[in-house]
Amino acid sequence: MRFMTTKGRAKRGVLLVGILFCCAVMLGWADNWEDIQRKSSNIKSVSAHFSQEKHMHILTKALISKGHFYFLAPDSVRWEYTSPVKSVLLMRKGDIKRYTLGRRGFVEDSGGSLESMQIVLQEISKWSRGQFTGNEHFSATLKGGQVPKIILTPKEKGLSAMISRIVITLSPDRRGVISFVKIIENKGNYTLFEFTDVQINGKISETIFREVE
Amino acid sequence: MKAFALHKRCFLILMSAFFIISCSRLPVIKPVDTAMAPDTMRRCHLPFLDIPYRFIHAIEVALPGSRTGTVVGVTAFDPATKTIQSVIMTIEGFVLFDASYEKEVRVNRAVPPFNAEHFAGYMMDDVRLIFLTPDGRLSDTGVFEDGSTVCRYYVKQNWVIDVIVHKDNTWEIERYSDSHELLRKVMTFSVRDRIPGMVELNAFGFREYTLRLNLINAEPVSPEALRLRPDDAPEDDE
Repeated sequence: MRFMTTKGRAKRGVLLVGILFCCAVMLGWADNWEDIQRKSSNIKSVSAHFSQEKHMHILTKALISKGHFYFLAPDSVRWEYTSPVKSVLLMRKGDIKRYTLGRRGFVEDSGGSLESMQIVLQEISKWSRGQFTGNEHFSATLKGGQVPKIILTPKEKGLSAMISRIVITLSPDRRGVISFVKIIENKGNYTLFEFTDVQINGKISETIFREVE
Repeated sequence: MKAFALHKRCFLILMSAFFIISCSRLPVIKPVDTAMAPDTMRRCHLPFLDIPYRFIHAIEVALPGSRTGTVVGVTAFDPATKTIQSVIMTIEGFVLFDASYEKEVRVNRAVPPFNAEHFAGYMMDDVRLIFLTPDGRLSDTGVFEDGSTVCRYYVKQNWVIDVIVHKDNTWEIERYSDSHELLRKVMTFSVRDRIPGMVELNAFGFREYTLRLNLINAEPVSPEALRLRPDDAPEDDE
């Protein structure tokens, strides 16, 4: 029952995707990587509601989770679940912590791997600067059209054991906003995130990246 | 001479400990009147649902050294066929472990270290203990001192499983080794319509851990749904 040692590995994949959310919001700004990189420097903050649908063979209907997502440049992230499990992931200045609401209030998960967190932080800084191409963890493909999509494919065998690919669907009618992120793990097993009420460069208090409640 | 005396003392302590452990006794069951036996049996069946069900839990894991974490567990089972499907995933939805049991354990997906040699087997043993009627010989029925109903089963490896149903319709399930050492203890809380709002499993002995399963959802499923495999899923469109 070595759950804790796994969580570091899992968290790595999870956090990579989490970081993706904030960066993906920028992608509708442009139709090519150069534009993305050039214009993404203007992003200072992102906030959004999200719903998460988990689909897999054991579930006849999707398991729905809901929460809020916040990003503050250069490297602060709050990824908060409000239902069905209350959980908060905080990343700030190289320090990453995760808390889950239990019987004794919010308790910090103690199984995270510091090494994994370091990798994630590196990803934050890269993606925040719009550096998707040349990324050591994912290969990126941009598909234009009325509903532009970006497809990320893991380069590493370890990561591809968890994630087959990630498909980001951009909003066709609101520039700078994504509609969906679909994380495909394997056949029939995927997670679909839908973002609503996306605010770009709104005022976000720095304390929400330090304090759970 | 002094060293010898010390060794001798240690030896005696170890032997005493061994003696105490080897003489561990199971809790005493008071027999009930023969006329009450059917009711006792009926109450012992209370923890185990009669139709296929799927449970979704938020699972708090506590390991030695104050290490804690939370995952989401999905468990589906058919009591008629003793079939089980079990998935462990992160709150964010990443599947860490996906396995089924139908006479033998089949692992569909296991991210290291969930792919450890015995993990799937141990996990399925825990799932069976919580959700399925013990697969063994019923040896005793009766009550404990506090009036709780108890049924005692002897299962594989001569392990002993006590199913204890309290007067308030919560229950406990205890599994003992062949030397009657307590290995697992399952406790239930906030039971409504035979569905516990919380299940706590404590593992003792060589691998100590605690799992608290907080109910997110429970619903009946068709037996056919339990036969679905990941390979049966449709191709994903982008």
